[in-house]
Amino acid sequence: MLYGLIFFPMAAGLLLPLIGSRSLRARNAAMAAACLINLAFSGIVLLRPDASARLAGFAGLGIALETDGFRKVYLLVIAFVWLMTTLFGLEYFSHYRHTNRYCCLNLVTLGALNGVFLASDLFTALIFFEIMSFTSYTWVLHEETPDALKAANTYLAVAVIGGLVALMGLFLLQHHLGTTEIAKLYEAAAASQNRAALYVAGGCVLFGFGAKAGMFPLHIWLPKAHPVAPAPASALLSGLLTKSGVFGVLVLSCELFRSDPAWGTAILLLGAVTMLLGALLALFSVDLKRTLACSSVSQIGFILVGVGLMDLLGAENALAARGTLLHMLNHSLFKLVLFLSAGAVYMNLHALDLNGIRGFGRKKPLLLIPFLFAALGIGGFPLFSGYVSKTLLHEAIVEAIGMYGAGLLSALEWVFLFSGGVTVAYMTKLFVALFLEKHPTRQAEFDGKKRYMNGLSAFALCASALLIPLLGMSASRSMDAIAEFGIGFFRSGPLEHAVRYFTWENLKGGLISIAIGVALYFGFVRTVLMRRENGVRVYVNRWPKWLDLEELLYRPLLLRWLPGILYPIARLFGENRVLTPLSERILRASGAAAAMFGENRVLTPLSERILRASGDAAAMFGENRVLGPLWDGTKRFFGVLAHAFSDSLDALVLLLRKTAYRDLTPEPEDEVRSSPSYRLGKQLDRIAVNRGAEKAGENRYAREAYEKRREIRIKSRRITGNMSFALLMLVIAVSAVFVYVLLLR
Amino acid sequence: MPSFWLPLCILFPLAAGAALFALPDRSFRLLFGTTLAVTTVTSALVWAWILWGGEAAIALIRFAPELELLLKTDGLGRFFLGVLATLWPLTVLYAGSYMRDQQHVRSFFAFFTLAYCAAIGVAAAGNLFTLYCFYEFLTLSTVPLILQPMTSAARKAAREYFLYSIGGSAFAFVAMLYLLAHGASGPFTPGGILRGEVFGGEGIARLFWLFGFLGFSVKAALFPLHRWLIKASVAPTPVTALLHAVAVVKSGAFAVIRLTQYCYGTELLADSWAQTAALLLAAFTVVYGSSLAVRETHFKRRLAYSTVANLSYILFGAMLMTPAGLAAALLHIAAHACIKIVSFFCAGAVLHESGRESVFELDGIGRRMPVTFACFTVSAFALMGLPPLNGFVSKWYLLAAAAESGGVAWIGAGALLLSALLTAIYMLTAARRAWFPDRDANLASLAAVHEADWKMLVPMVLLTLGMLLCGVFGEPILRAVQAAIGL
Repeated sequence: MLYGLIFFPMAAGLLLPLIGSRSLRARNAAMAAACLINLAFSGIVLLRPDASARLAGFAGLGIALETDGFRKVYLLVIAFVWLMTTLFGLEYFSHYRHTNRYCCLNLVTLGALNGVFLASDLFTALIFFEIMSFTSYTWVLHEETPDALKAANTYLAVAVIGGLVALMGLFLLQHHLGTTEIAKLYEAAAASQNRAALYVAGGCVLFGFGAKAGMFPLHIWLPKAHPVAPAPASALLSGLLTKSGVFGVLVLSCELFRSDPAWGTAILLLGAVTMLLGALLALFSVDLKRTLACSSVSQIGFILVGVGLMDLLGAENALAARGTLLHMLNHSLFKLVLFLSAGAVYMNLHALDLNGIRGFGRKKPLLLIPFLFAALGIGGFPLFSGYVSKTLLHEAIVEAIGMYGAGLLSALEWVFLFSGGVTVAYMTKLFVALFLEKHPTRQAEFDGKKRYMNGLSAFALCASALLIPLLGMSASRSMDAIAEFGIGFFRSGPLEHAVRYFTWENLKGGLISIAIGVALYFGFVRTVLMRRENGVRVYVNRWPKWLDLEELLYRPLLLRWLPGILYPIARLFGENRVLTPLSERILRASGAAAAMFGENRVLTPLSERILRASGDAAAMFGENRVLGPLWDGTKRFFGVLAHAFSDSLDALVLLLRKTAYRDLTPEPEDEVRSSPSYRLGKQLDRIAVNRGAEKAGENRYAREAYEKRREIRIKSRRITGNMSFALLMLVIAVSAVFVYVLLLR
Repeated sequence: MPSFWLPLCILFPLAAGAALFALPDRSFRLLFGTTLAVTTVTSALVWAWILWGGEAAIALIRFAPELELLLKTDGLGRFFLGVLATLWPLTVLYAGSYMRDQQHVRSFFAFFTLAYCAAIGVAAAGNLFTLYCFYEFLTLSTVPLILQPMTSAARKAAREYFLYSIGGSAFAFVAMLYLLAHGASGPFTPGGILRGEVFGGEGIARLFWLFGFLGFSVKAALFPLHRWLIKASVAPTPVTALLHAVAVVKSGAFAVIRLTQYCYGTELLADSWAQTAALLLAAFTVVYGSSLAVRETHFKRRLAYSTVANLSYILFGAMLMTPAGLAAALLHIAAHACIKIVSFFCAGAVLHESGRESVFELDGIGRRMPVTFACFTVSAFALMGLPPLNGFVSKWYLLAAAAESGGVAWIGAGALLLSALLTAIYMLTAARRAWFPDRDANLASLAAVHEADWKMLVPMVLLTLGMLLCGVFGEPILRAVQAAIGL
């Protein structure tokens, strides 16, 4: 059954293009059926007792699978979300090209994702994780526009680098602990002497999985990939694939570094930065799907805060563990609904810009209600499921304050509440733009669109959305029951008393967030982030363009600096001969050095950015007086230095060419008669004349002998100019030494 | 098995290769058919010997008491023989389509068969003198193959290859002389044949070993002796694929292993400055080759730089001088052979079908040649070292061996990882272009490009499947390798 969860969708996916080349309807039906069967599989696995399976020797280390409560729940979530996006996708993709490719890789990714969540060994998890990364890569570039290609490149780069670094981490773990089996990690780590090495290894693995989760500073792919991917794919990327990254982080935190406060603090800090930064990015964004993508980053931050707290709280981590699990589940649901709503908008308008789509949702209840439910859920309004998980996380922070005292942790509490407030603000921004405002010119056209999605899509959207209030209202029954499933995997302690969600203490946190959100919306969004143009208020993007971690750091680092380090050496050995053009090579190397300082290879892109940043700063204080000239001066100074350096080398080269490396001059003609070979030939000629074979004065042998000698000289000059000749000479010398040494013996 | 069997494996392709010169140059089908038959029969003979041959030493000629041509196939030799015998007929099949429109096909097929004879000789050699003789023969028989297009670039490349190789063997010769002077001329023995007091002290012995290492490493394209390999990519693709990714370059690595583990002995060399120098040079070459591959835009030359890096993986593993390192190096010999031959086949198929040589010209070509580029993509993943492909398994064991050794080896481990990242960049950028072209690419010019024919596709697909199988069954294969080298 466990293998079925992985290999059935994969096999089905590989078959789909074959069906698709005959009939698209049959293929769509087959895909939906495969998702249904997968859901059935997950349901059966949920009902059956925990199981495990192992395939030894596969790819060197073997693969191992198992199920427990948490995995079973998540497999079901995956199957559900997948079914819903697939149903929605049937309409969404009806006008797309390359749908066979999408369908095929859609199911292969499903199998791989199931594999990640089933893995009982980090190595197994990584194999499926990599397969998933590469198959989902094609989702991002599906539309094949320049933006999509660029975003896909970023996605691929993050996936590849993350994967390789994680592999390195696994390797280190295997080396230090002798195992990568999840259940054995804790004991092995406890027995290990070398804690620092474990942190390095764990850091590497965290890098790989964190990159997929969207953890700061590796979140760069999310805001780029989601807006360009098709909406159902965005829902999966954001709702589920990021969770596979979280799964890796969970394994590290719950097993390898269980109850390790140092690790917990690190995750907590990263989570807090991710949470706040993502929320702010979302607030500034003016693109519907980009906002949702940044929101994903932020929500992953919330989850990571929960994970960090689990380690900080040690044995009393029940609240944090429950909050983490429930928030993961909630986020998958919210993003499913939100991205599908965005997909419905895009399907009709082919636009995502808030100014272009404002007012589209008016008079469209099937769009409004799901979106509203999800927005209220993600904003943490009481009676919706998001409130429950956020309250649990908040409680966990309060508990940690009780354990470690206030200070940084109460700062964290406020960051938490503030991020919640920003969440409310940007969701309000989206909701107002879509459903309350009117489009200045096209409103009548928008209102006229009555058939904005078909029945199946509407079903997928509404059915998913309904779960949010249902879960939220029956929290103490349904959600608590779900949380119970996580006990084994999260290693959480017993809950001291059932949480009462609707007491004043708990409501207060949610209400503070909502108040902050309302204040932010009216005080910041409607004032700073909007501008009046031609009498209409429009949304503007105030986020500085140059403030982009990818363009600022990652791209230059990977594409220019890293391969550039060895380039001068390569050029040094670029040609094969060594002796004569050596000086030329030194010159070229110094040219590279000069270029490095004088023109642009390493420093200039960096300095340009510094300059631009300082220019911005200077512009704030008036005219740019000081920094610009200073920089120009520095640049000129290095330029002069480099030129002087290379000029002096020029002189050196000239000197060498005139002395040691001067060209050999051709032999003067009057030397011909004095050369030994010529004389020898002369004698031969004389003998020939005496024997009567030749007439006197013809000098045949003399001429031939001289020509031969000339030829030999030219050839030997060519040979001596050769590197291999130098090698041979060296070998002969070495052999001579060797023979000498042997004779001595 | 009768003892003439192994000499037969060598003499048969030798005689057949010489006989090929008698066939008419015009009839391509006859030449190709004969060569394919000869190489297939030879491979069958070789495989029979690998499976049932045993390890008896077979002396061919005795020049002097200490100098004899001796054949002996221990586990290491059988392993290398197996790699060669599997790949050679497949490459001939590929050449059957690739060389169809080329000039001078008779000499191509003849020398290709002779090179097979030389490579088998290198693998089956029982002592260093025999290995040296066949090694030189390999050089001589492959020079005309580089020369085959007869352009000025090909002439230059062939000349450079020749001079580099001769220079390198001269160094190796010195190392061999040192052994002979000690009376150490016997058959290869694990742990070395240099026994007792060495003349001039251990320092001198290590120095001479280093000469031999550098000399044989010319063929293994160790920095800074790698230039010939890059230039040699002007040769026809079957040559670059088989000889410059497998037979010639790996003969170099194989000879280094023979010299180190079976002649001078690891006891003398381990933990010495000579080992450190070799390790550092190999580690540097790994990063160097990968970096240059990222910058190179000519498709075949990019793969050649990648070969430079990967050969140094092998040298690095072998120079760890531990059994684990040697096993990992051997695993990588097989893995890289499979991967690189497939990627060269793809590059050659592109060149043959469309005449395109640069990575920038690959835009969108994957959709015209889906099978070719599916194979290329798999080989890219394998070269990066993604599980569950064979490249992953060998790199994993290399890393494990490096970590076990500790010390300087950690630098090498770092180099390996950096190189994996660079590999991802240079392989995936090519694959990405082929499948997902940039918007401004001129796709109309692709209309005339078709998928390669079956003679090219069959070897590619078979070897791609091989990559997957060797990856999935990595552990049993490692066990077999360990058993072969006597662990």
